[in-house]
Amino acid sequence: MREAWHRLGRNPLALGGLTVIAAFLVCAAGAPFIAPYDPYAMSEGSMLRPPGPEHWLGADQFGRDILSRVVHGARISLRVGLIAVGIALSAGTLLGVIAGYFGRWIDQLVSRLFEVVFAFPDILLALVIMAILGPSTTNVMIAIGIVYTPIFGRIARGSTLAVRNATYVEAARSMGVGHGMIMARHVLPNITAPMIIQTTLSFAFAILAEAALSFLGLGVEPDAPSWGIMLSEGRNWMQHGWWIAVFPGLAITLAVLSFNVVGDGLRDALDPRLRGRGDVP
Amino acid sequence: MLRYTFRRLLLALPVLVGISVIAFFMVRLVPGDTVTALLGAHYSEAEAAALRQKYELDRPLVVQYFVWLGHVLSGDLGVSAFTGEPVLGTIVSRLAVTVQLVVISIGFAVLVAVPLGVMAAVGRGGRTDFVATVFGLLGISVPGFWLGVLFILLFSLYLGWLPSGGFVSLVDDPVANLRHMAMPGLALGMAVAAVVMRMTRGAMLDVLGEDYVRMARAKGVPRRRLIIRHALRNALIPVVTVTGIQAGYLLGGSIVIEQVFSLPGIGLLALQAITNRDYALLQGTVLFVAVAFVLINLLVDLIYARLDPRIEY
Amino acid sequence: MRSTMMARLLLLAVAMATGASGCARHDQPIDPADIPDEPLPGGTLTVAIQADGLSLDPHAVTDAPSMRLIENMYGTLLRYGDDYGEVESYLAESYQASADRRTYTFALRPDVRFHATGRPLTSADVEYSIRRIIDHRVRADQFEPVDSISTPDAHTVTFHLSRPAPAFPTYLAYPMNVIVDRDVVEANDGSLSRSDAGTGPFRLVEWRRDRHLILERYEAYHLEGLPYLDRLVFRPIPDETARTTALRTGEVHITLDVPGKDRVILEDAPHVELASVPGTFWEYVGINARREPFDDHRVRQAMAWAVDRSMVSRFVTFSRARVLTGGFLPTSHWAYTELEVYPARDTDRARELLRAAGLADGFRAVIRVGSAFPYQVAAAQVVKQNLEDVGIVTEILAEESAVFFDALGRSDFDLTVVGWLGFVDPDEWFYNIFHSAGRWNQQGYSNPRVDRLLEEGRVETDPGARKGIYHRVQEKVVRDAPVVLLYLNDQTSAYLDTVQGFRVHATATTLSLRETWLVR
Repeated sequence: MREAWHRLGRNPLALGGLTVIAAFLVCAAGAPFIAPYDPYAMSEGSMLRPPGPEHWLGADQFGRDILSRVVHGARISLRVGLIAVGIALSAGTLLGVIAGYFGRWIDQLVSRLFEVVFAFPDILLALVIMAILGPSTTNVMIAIGIVYTPIFGRIARGSTLAVRNATYVEAARSMGVGHGMIMARHVLPNITAPMIIQTTLSFAFAILAEAALSFLGLGVEPDAPSWGIMLSEGRNWMQHGWWIAVFPGLAITLAVLSFNVVGDGLRDALDPRLRGRGDVP
Repeated sequence: MLRYTFRRLLLALPVLVGISVIAFFMVRLVPGDTVTALLGAHYSEAEAAALRQKYELDRPLVVQYFVWLGHVLSGDLGVSAFTGEPVLGTIVSRLAVTVQLVVISIGFAVLVAVPLGVMAAVGRGGRTDFVATVFGLLGISVPGFWLGVLFILLFSLYLGWLPSGGFVSLVDDPVANLRHMAMPGLALGMAVAAVVMRMTRGAMLDVLGEDYVRMARAKGVPRRRLIIRHALRNALIPVVTVTGIQAGYLLGGSIVIEQVFSLPGIGLLALQAITNRDYALLQGTVLFVAVAFVLINLLVDLIYARLDPRIEY
Repeated sequence: MRSTMMARLLLLAVAMATGASGCARHDQPIDPADIPDEPLPGGTLTVAIQADGLSLDPHAVTDAPSMRLIENMYGTLLRYGDDYGEVESYLAESYQASADRRTYTFALRPDVRFHATGRPLTSADVEYSIRRIIDHRVRADQFEPVDSISTPDAHTVTFHLSRPAPAFPTYLAYPMNVIVDRDVVEANDGSLSRSDAGTGPFRLVEWRRDRHLILERYEAYHLEGLPYLDRLVFRPIPDETARTTALRTGEVHITLDVPGKDRVILEDAPHVELASVPGTFWEYVGINARREPFDDHRVRQAMAWAVDRSMVSRFVTFSRARVLTGGFLPTSHWAYTELEVYPARDTDRARELLRAAGLADGFRAVIRVGSAFPYQVAAAQVVKQNLEDVGIVTEILAEESAVFFDALGRSDFDLTVVGWLGFVDPDEWFYNIFHSAGRWNQQGYSNPRVDRLLEEGRVETDPGARKGIYHRVQEKVVRDAPVVLLYLNDQTSAYLDTVQGFRVHATATTLSLRETWLVR
């Protein structure tokens, strides 16, 4: 593991990505102190104000400061990403490890279920789930979490299969160690590397998905400073000012890019065999 | 080959059944009601009950599922409660838009990605490789809908070259059709290009490291011929697979781009069905997209099996 | 490699853009001297509308886009005049009302023929059509007083009413209360959702959902020389920006509804003309008067004082709407009277009222809006900020039409932002929304005195007395505040300078398309 960190440290792209992620984390944590204005405060005088000394990134149609909204948007995006990925990671790992460990019909069932879910385009599936749950930030996290569960599930299952019949697992089993214990002690540690990579990459997907759902109007509350919502509103106001749509999009791109870069870097660092392979998201 | 095809089909069967179950029940979990959407803000309970009976929405859900499945198997996806038109016909009429969009974006992606991927792999570690890496990362990171908005800002509003949305059929007016499809095609194709490029580069690197390529190089096969004849040919197999999967995926995954450019395709249809709580239409669309995905994957698998002699069937 | 590729694509884009813009757009502005005095017949006119229609059945639709598609295919007995509120003859040459306004007799034009069958229109068709409207329910209440319909001869129809109904002619002029061809209805199993059973200036050629609806000139139209256009094409363009750009690039000739924010853009656009009249689209914050704490009129009044209408209007309509500080009606309405109840925002007063209601610390509520109406979602955001200033903390729930309308219909909301469009007679404006038994009384408002006034207004035949009644209705309703009125939008259309003879109507109806023509 230390060696992996070392390798990651020598990758300039990944370091850059980590720096940007750190910056977003700082924004998210300290948003009220960093943002120059209240992200909800409307001002008739600043309506559609282009970028300038007063509003660095301009103001939107309600005269709300875009910089402040972008900074607060980091909060929403990262929180949605964290919890959605957390849901997908735990549910996926649980299902995947169980399927891989017990095999037979359980494996068949879970694998088929993953295949079925995979057959639906992620945004479409998330949209229908959002329609079921209703629009709210919590529900966005749940919807994205469900959609990405099979990705983690597949990886967990594959890695579990690889160690299931290993001698040390057999030995543990013959010594009468319980299934739960074996999975926790011997299987889980073995799948951490691919899971860490996937978690990082999934942050990128989750941020994109939240933006897309909000853009389509089935995401978070309409006045929330979410990057997706800002972009969607900016699209309606394109003729009045480019800055309303451009900056939130830039923020999404930067965040997604840094998670992708770090994910790639982690892959290279943790699993040198995969080096250079562009795996498909 | 025939046996392999048959086995793959058999394996796909439970997945297809699962898809139908999810498509049906998931959609029916959606709160709200076709009937009230249909009647608007002002209706009476009697009217609503009559309509519910008409669309058989008053029977037990499981019964409804089997009735629906029976119809689906005989090629009848039901009738949209909102427009009164057959769902299958509606999907087919929207399919042309989405298929054209997918073809343009895949075409663009392959045209850009394969050469770039090959060059990156050949000149590994060099400047082209760096450009390709950056392109690959940017491509999967830039949201397609933001790219679409940027295109509209530049090409429609600032330069006034292209229409900012809408659709004209290829048959009616080919030039206008291309003008409408260029921006959405590119916006959607960028991510695909990135994925295909990364895949091409990776596959090329693998192949270039194989013994037979080293052997050929040692034998003095010209560089150009080596790359194209020996390496690319083999590297293309996984690339074809990825491209195929992406095509299947884009059929329903183009929702956001269709929304940005007001393209009346499958994605927008699904969105409208959600908005209107048009169960039959939403079930039909979701089912169609998922089944198309499975079938395209199946096809890609079969092509793969044909292309790659190492696979036994 | 990649750069040449991009360069080539860019070139292709340039070629496509310049190649086609030559034919789509004329480069010289129209010189007023070039406009002929006499209308030029011929040509195809394309109209952009907000959304596609749901159905072409005039007696079943309730949504505005469907009405725009339908109204030029059909004819009504009477029709709206250019001046808002005025009614003129159409398929009926003339009519007589008895002194008690309980019997209306119409003399039909003899020269009107149906599109599909070429059959002349008769009184039997009128009776059939009105019965069909009543059967289809959506506008049955407009004909609720009809006791019987008699048809003494082929060109005379008499309506016998159970009570005086001064609004009756206005209802007959409602653009969807059209006369349909019974043969077409029966040939289509009773539904006109995809057919044309009309007598109007244009007839249906093709309807391709979400792409276009094409109408062509009806050669046998009963008015000599009309319509001027050969073809009329409606194109649904839901996105506001796309709609405005389509006009700017000359892809469409007219865009019917221009939101205030896009008006600013089009005012400066070359070749584009804007036409605006005081409209009938009024928007408000609906308050569920049956729910706590809104069942206390002081709470509702507090909100009426707390909302900054001109701020909402400034942000949402670019101040291109008339802020409603008192009554509802457009200034051009015959029953308009001056009424000022909430002249300006007053947060102190709002807090005082909340304190009196025992809610000095404020409370929480949800504002439900339809996500299909971005201007109402925007208004809700400003209202939310306004209410927060007096301690009312709200959350906005923007939902898809199906869910939203369902909730609205069941009165399942605290607060909502919605609007109505196209009312003409005051009975239409107020009865169904504010009478305790009104069909669309989603606010659950009930005031016996208002009920009585509304019932009187329906049957009062003297216009002066009616005006007085509705003044009192508005005053009471506005003070009771089951709704916080926001504004009355201007009705604005924009068209290319080659379009002549198109007139914007307060109710958004496009009946003037039959007199519209193109310079080139």
